[in-house]
Amino acid sequence: MLNRRMMLQGMATGVGAALGTSLVPGNLLAATGSQTTPKRIIFFMQNQGFDPRTCIPEGMKRSGSLAKVKLPEPISPLEPYKDRLHIINGLHGLHTSPSHSAFFGALGGYRGSDGVPPAGATIDYELSKILPQTLLPHLCIGMDSMENMSTKPTIATLSASGAGQPIFMHSNPNHLYQMLYGGIASGDIRRRHEARSNIFNQIEQLAAAEGKALPIADQRRYGQYVQGFKDVNGLRDRLDSVADRLRDFAPEVDSRYTSPEFETDWHDALLDLGISALTSGITNTLTIGSGRGEIFGAWKGLGVEQQGHNLGHMDQPGNPIWIKIRQYNSRMLVRIMEELESIPEGSGTMMDHTLIVYTSNNADRQHTSGANWPVMLLGNFDGAFKTGCFTQLDGKRPINALYASLLCAAGQSCDRFNMNEKIAQKFDNSIGPLKEVLA
Amino acid sequence: MIRVGIAASTFLASLLLIAPLSVSQLAIAQSETYTPGQKIDKEYATFARQFLDSHCVDCHGATEPEGGLSLNDLGPVDEVNAGTWEAVWAQVTLKEMPPPEMDQPAVVQRLQFSDWIADELSHVMREQGGFHAPQDPEKGNFVDHQLLFGPLPDGIKLKPTASPARLWRVTPQEHITRLNELINTEPEYDPEKPGLRTHGDVVPTNHGGELKLYFGTDRIIYWQGGTVAYATAVKSVPAVLSTARAHGLENYPDFYTVNSAEATQILSIAEDILRYMAEGPLSIAEPYQISDDIRSVRNRMKGDIRGLPTSIVYSTQVVRPLTPVYDLMSEEGVDDQRLQAAVDYLFEALTFRPPTEKESLQYLTIAKQSIETLGKDEGAILGLSPIFLDRDALFRPELAKAGSPDQYGRVMLQDWELGLAVNHALRYIKPDEQLHKAIVEGRMRTRDDVKREVERMLADDSIRKPRILQFFRDYFDYDRGGYICKDSRALAATGVSNRGTAHYNAMFDATASTDRLIELVLAEDKDVLKQLLTTNKVVATKADNVYFGRRHSKEETRASIAAAKQAEQEALKTETDALENAQQQLAELKASLEENAEPDDAQQKDLKAHQQAVIKAKNKLDAATKKWKEKTFNHNVAEVDLTGPELFARVSRRSFGKGSMQPERILAEAPEGQRLGILTHPAWLVSHSDAMDNHAIRRGRWIRERLLGGGIPDVPITVDAMLPDEPDKTLRERMRVTTETYCWTCHEKMDPLGLPFEMFNHAGLFRETEQDKPVDTTGAIIDSGDPNLDGEVANAIEMIERIAESERAEQVFVRHAFRFWMGRNETLNDAPVLQEAHRAYKENGGSMNALIVSLLTSDAFLYRSHSAH
Repeated sequence: MLNRRMMLQGMATGVGAALGTSLVPGNLLAATGSQTTPKRIIFFMQNQGFDPRTCIPEGMKRSGSLAKVKLPEPISPLEPYKDRLHIINGLHGLHTSPSHSAFFGALGGYRGSDGVPPAGATIDYELSKILPQTLLPHLCIGMDSMENMSTKPTIATLSASGAGQPIFMHSNPNHLYQMLYGGIASGDIRRRHEARSNIFNQIEQLAAAEGKALPIADQRRYGQYVQGFKDVNGLRDRLDSVADRLRDFAPEVDSRYTSPEFETDWHDALLDLGISALTSGITNTLTIGSGRGEIFGAWKGLGVEQQGHNLGHMDQPGNPIWIKIRQYNSRMLVRIMEELESIPEGSGTMMDHTLIVYTSNNADRQHTSGANWPVMLLGNFDGAFKTGCFTQLDGKRPINALYASLLCAAGQSCDRFNMNEKIAQKFDNSIGPLKEVLA
Repeated sequence: MIRVGIAASTFLASLLLIAPLSVSQLAIAQSETYTPGQKIDKEYATFARQFLDSHCVDCHGATEPEGGLSLNDLGPVDEVNAGTWEAVWAQVTLKEMPPPEMDQPAVVQRLQFSDWIADELSHVMREQGGFHAPQDPEKGNFVDHQLLFGPLPDGIKLKPTASPARLWRVTPQEHITRLNELINTEPEYDPEKPGLRTHGDVVPTNHGGELKLYFGTDRIIYWQGGTVAYATAVKSVPAVLSTARAHGLENYPDFYTVNSAEATQILSIAEDILRYMAEGPLSIAEPYQISDDIRSVRNRMKGDIRGLPTSIVYSTQVVRPLTPVYDLMSEEGVDDQRLQAAVDYLFEALTFRPPTEKESLQYLTIAKQSIETLGKDEGAILGLSPIFLDRDALFRPELAKAGSPDQYGRVMLQDWELGLAVNHALRYIKPDEQLHKAIVEGRMRTRDDVKREVERMLADDSIRKPRILQFFRDYFDYDRGGYICKDSRALAATGVSNRGTAHYNAMFDATASTDRLIELVLAEDKDVLKQLLTTNKVVATKADNVYFGRRHSKEETRASIAAAKQAEQEALKTETDALENAQQQLAELKASLEENAEPDDAQQKDLKAHQQAVIKAKNKLDAATKKWKEKTFNHNVAEVDLTGPELFARVSRRSFGKGSMQPERILAEAPEGQRLGILTHPAWLVSHSDAMDNHAIRRGRWIRERLLGGGIPDVPITVDAMLPDEPDKTLRERMRVTTETYCWTCHEKMDPLGLPFEMFNHAGLFRETEQDKPVDTTGAIIDSGDPNLDGEVANAIEMIERIAESERAEQVFVRHAFRFWMGRNETLNDAPVLQEAHRAYKENGGSMNALIVSLLTSDAFLYRSHSAH
């Protein structure tokens, strides 16, 4: 029989899981009797590439402190937070085929491309398994044009729980709200939540009835199927039981949800929901796909009239359009930090136990070989990572090495992430975590 | 990564056994009757320990044990020593131990010991997920081939066979194909173009190898942008059911369940499907996008909207199936009758059988409640979606509850269960009309009923039978090439293009081509296995001129470059000479005219003509220069010119705009002496390669297991040996590490069978040199089980020719077919079924159809037992 944690893990990859509960970070975990210090991680993947010249302070060629330098204009909103920022330049993703997008390969560290199924679990999923348990270990949200988010509210391009097992991301904030907070909602959302709850309850009953008197060998296998529904329904019930506490974290549903003027209204709403899932303790891992891992995406709400693909053909440094998008990303990062900082946890705040990984699913630019893959880290993850600095690497270590570092920082030793020795002989000149970035 | 380890049990490799069986043991072995599958009611102390003492501990004793493994203190099976016992189980079952030169335990004694260990391991490991090795298809060959096809020694008594009653989860491909039936109309079979994808064929993977369900692509008549824009704009959902196996048989009933994530995703996809069934492209597009007037829609497309759903124009012609779901949703209000019809339709479409009254009522009630809460539009869609999660929509039951047990306790499948089992054996869509009628009329209850329906379906080409092709994919493993990630530089060195996704596209095309080639061989239905192993036919795309080509040696590459340069110079020389000549003539004319003070009109005209001639000659030279510059040569490959009649292969719906896979192919002949059968085709070769090179071990293992019927024990987790990274050495040279005694016991079974394929590089091109030296393609068949096969081989072609003539290979092929269609490993009790299936195959001239009929009318297929098999 799958254990409960595995079941929750499974649910995290579900689209419309009639979630229902929460063990909130410290508070809900406490309800389960866990003494583990909560930790959480956020991956923010902007498409079209992340040109290093838009994040490395002017004139900075070597590794060093950020204290006395000014951050470039595109990431200027992070200036007040640069003491917790770590800019990493010189990782590579040559083996991931990132031109246009490495898709699952960006977080998986393996070859990806349009239409290519995931070759293995991605780092966000792997971390969600080993971080201290939350109700839904992994939540993915995707930001795109209004049309794409409406007609394709769930797609899977970035995260995977294993080879050929994509994890869907949520792009319609109304659906996501219903999934996370249907139990505390009112009006239409409440009605939909109840209808869906009723459906799941009945499916569970039917499934259980059809499982009676199966051969012994099949009882366990089919039992897992039925157990999946029991967990979905059980979680919902438990969510309802902590509804009062969830109310403190759930964002308010306003006109941005129902009558968005621009796609950025939904982007903001999705971010609110993602942050609330972290602060309420529903999840420990949040993956944000700005542009949803593909080569398109839209930001009309910022005054950017160009469509996604054209944006990738532009040089990013000094480009007013890219300054707008990157600043918008940066403001989102600031919001995440501020929200997490506002919540006490242990002897500090939630942010003390959090790490944000900001990068692109396209390495440094849209048409790229992946020879350079810039990354920004925010937060120190309980002191595991250096902050307030810029690190220039020599281009010999792959993004997989960063992911191995994340696993190590989360408590799981890892020499190589998704890279066998044979491939490593070609693409990694060292082994183990990136000592340059760990504290 | 190539691991070169050996099984832990090969620590036993040099075991010296000296103790003969004691008199009492021999007496036991000789007097007892062994019935496969019956629990071995014996104790560790009085049975297993004695076996170990008699056959193992002389070498694996307390002092200086062979391989460092002592079995002296190996106690009863427990969680701690389970790994050692598993290794002992594998070695003894495979008859690797005791070594051949030593006294052997009696056949029955060996079988009993093997079963005893398996029973004990199953019991002890039940909290850790159990011990499933005997049920693993990769261990199918652990059952002694001679005992299955040869005479049984005294003391073994078989019992009439049956398969266990069970639930069989559908595969991702079956599931997607089932869902596809709800929203897409596939074309009817066209006997003039039999290769084209048609109704009943499986939904294939797309241009990138991903399995997806596409919405409305058959109505798209325009889109803005290129291939990626199209792929982003169209609606598609990936398969949600998971599989973990890449090689070998993919779907035994006990492999998979459906987890909660998959279930919730299915529910969400169900809503999308139901909405599309009701509204068609309107569910994914704006009304103005549905028009036959592309221009009018384009006028409404403001600016660059590539990649957006609004960048697509759908034709007005309705092509999706219009079903009771459409009827329900297209009318105002809710009509009970229509709701019921929609429920019943969906149930049968998803489970392939009509609902019982109770089932129908249950789902009707859910739908009504949902409509009551949410109103018709939203409520009906949500309320109908649970049918997609019905047990029988995701699992196919073979529970055999209806019949009565025979004298052996077996129950024969009947009616819907039997009909759907037969249907599933060949097809992915619901039973055709005749089979449906036979089930409903009570004519699916006997062996003859099954024979009648199977023979009918096999004889009718318009009834597509994708499961047969799936068997060949599972058996040959030729469909993995597009998923083998290649190092870009290593790929370029093979001679094929490493630009973009060209190689991966070529491999997905090659898979579809090989599918078609197999179908052509199946259409002949003569000596099927032999034909597949030795055919000189190739189904090819243009890219195959390279992939079936020959890799140039360094000298040839140099010569090719020089020849191209010379050809260029020669081609340009004509034009250069012409220009120089024209210039010369012009200069001479000018000089002559300068002598005249006033050139007359004729002279002026002549001058102009000469000037024009110079311009013309210069333009010609420029054009020729440009043409040569643009001309691309592949100096690394002697391409073949594959020609032949046109035919078609089955490819995905349009998934990547104009870059989608194309069905056009030709049927050509491979270069003689370089290729022989599909094991020498790039699709198979690349499927058995890795990022940097050939995978001789995997290829050898394939030959050992799939043709020779041998078994390879698991690589022990303690072994993590790597081939040395020596770029200037050949693979064969680097594989020297596997010849060390420690490794060779296992690698002897694989490497000499895989190395003959070194006549091809890792993109599948034929080659005569490697590292600038003549390539070594020698190998050997060692200990195959058929002495006529054993011996050295000069290359893969000689090896294939020899094995293709072998009866043993035929029998092993039959064993794999048995596993595929029964969904389980064979046991000794299945020996009569296997022998009969082989007889049917052979006596009908190597007929796959005869083999399938034999298997599907066997007891193993028809009967279910409610006790574990």
